[in-house]
Amino acid sequence: MTRIEFLRQLEGHLEVKPGSLEESQRLSELVCWDSMAAVVFIALADEQLGVTVSGDQIEQAKSVHDLLSLVRPGLV
Amino acid sequence: MGGKKAYLAGIRHTLPERRLDNEELAAQFPGWTAEKIFEKTGIRSRRISAPGECGSDLALRAAQGLMEQLRRDPADVDYLLYCTQTPDYIVPTTACLMQHRMGLPTTCGALDFNLGCSGYIYGLGLAKALIESGQARNVLLLNADTYTKLLNPADKSVRTLFGDAAAATWIAAAEEESLVGPFTYGTDGAGLPNLLIPAGGMRRRAEPDAELISDDSGNARTVNDFYMNGAEVFNFTLRTVPDAVNRTLEKAGVSAEEVDLFVFHQANRFMLEHLRRKMRIPAEKFVLAIEETGNTISCTIPIALEAARQSGQLAPGALVMLVGFGIGYSWGATLVRWPSRPS
Repeated sequence: MTRIEFLRQLEGHLEVKPGSLEESQRLSELVCWDSMAAVVFIALADEQLGVTVSGDQIEQAKSVHDLLSLVRPGLV
Repeated sequence: MGGKKAYLAGIRHTLPERRLDNEELAAQFPGWTAEKIFEKTGIRSRRISAPGECGSDLALRAAQGLMEQLRRDPADVDYLLYCTQTPDYIVPTTACLMQHRMGLPTTCGALDFNLGCSGYIYGLGLAKALIESGQARNVLLLNADTYTKLLNPADKSVRTLFGDAAAATWIAAAEEESLVGPFTYGTDGAGLPNLLIPAGGMRRRAEPDAELISDDSGNARTVNDFYMNGAEVFNFTLRTVPDAVNRTLEKAGVSAEEVDLFVFHQANRFMLEHLRRKMRIPAEKFVLAIEETGNTISCTIPIALEAARQSGQLAPGALVMLVGFGIGYSWGATLVRWPSRPS
């Protein structure tokens, strides 16, 4: 799965408009980003990419770019 | 002592009267709608114990209902196991109070054990051990918790999930093959920071003037309130649940296909559905029973069993995999052959 494909999947699970998530966006400015969204991200990384992401790693992430960096090993 | 094999003779649960539905929660947390809460959790309402209403009050009703259903008498109980994390008192043991309230013989054994969402599995394991070692013939397992009393009203992350309940399970000795087990267990105390109430125990006494602190998601709590790190707890389940299921299957010498029904601790629908897909369990063999009661700690499995029995998903003679997991961290799994005899 490519970065773009993963982003589109994440958008679907977070119920935001397709194409609305951009790598430069800060998580603190995303209305859809909360503790449940973090769990959705972990689930998606596990299910689609076989990558384990910890809660601590997500807490350190400041932007969409940071989130994608966490799943890089599973992306093509 | 006669028969020395354990079987599940019957299960009954009770819920407090007050219902907290998503509409009421949405009104308290602007930005959330009732439908959004349902989509995120799979829960439409949960039951909330009244002020002063304890888990033991619910457990008493469950036990009395079960004895009536089974045509059993308090005098038949020779061991009471009481699982709770919300006891009536710090001391004494709630099981001792229950012996007196229920009119159980003073010759019966009674103990509390402090486990959360794994407590049903551990209770069955203890009951089987007591019966099959000849120490007891009839064990009454009571699971009861009023976790909603531990939650800060301003913490929607947990108020949307948890509900109160009690369940009573009668485990009896029979001459036939054991219908409960084998068991596998797991424990990892490194989970402490992710599911706890920081203050209120002996390590750190309750702090009446504790500051209310908001997290990044807008949930507020003090050190006297229950805290859950949802992301870490989710990872914990991914690490442990599939392994516990596989170890139990291996120990029993059966394949996943031979299991008729999987009943996991009903934490939230999202987590359950993810685990189901990850473990490739067909939807028709997987119980989801969280919509009207929420996460009721160690009562979710008996509540789900009853729901599955009523819906026809659980048939007499079925081989059922039960898995409990949560605070501690603590987890366990077992296989139960659902009795053919009516209860």
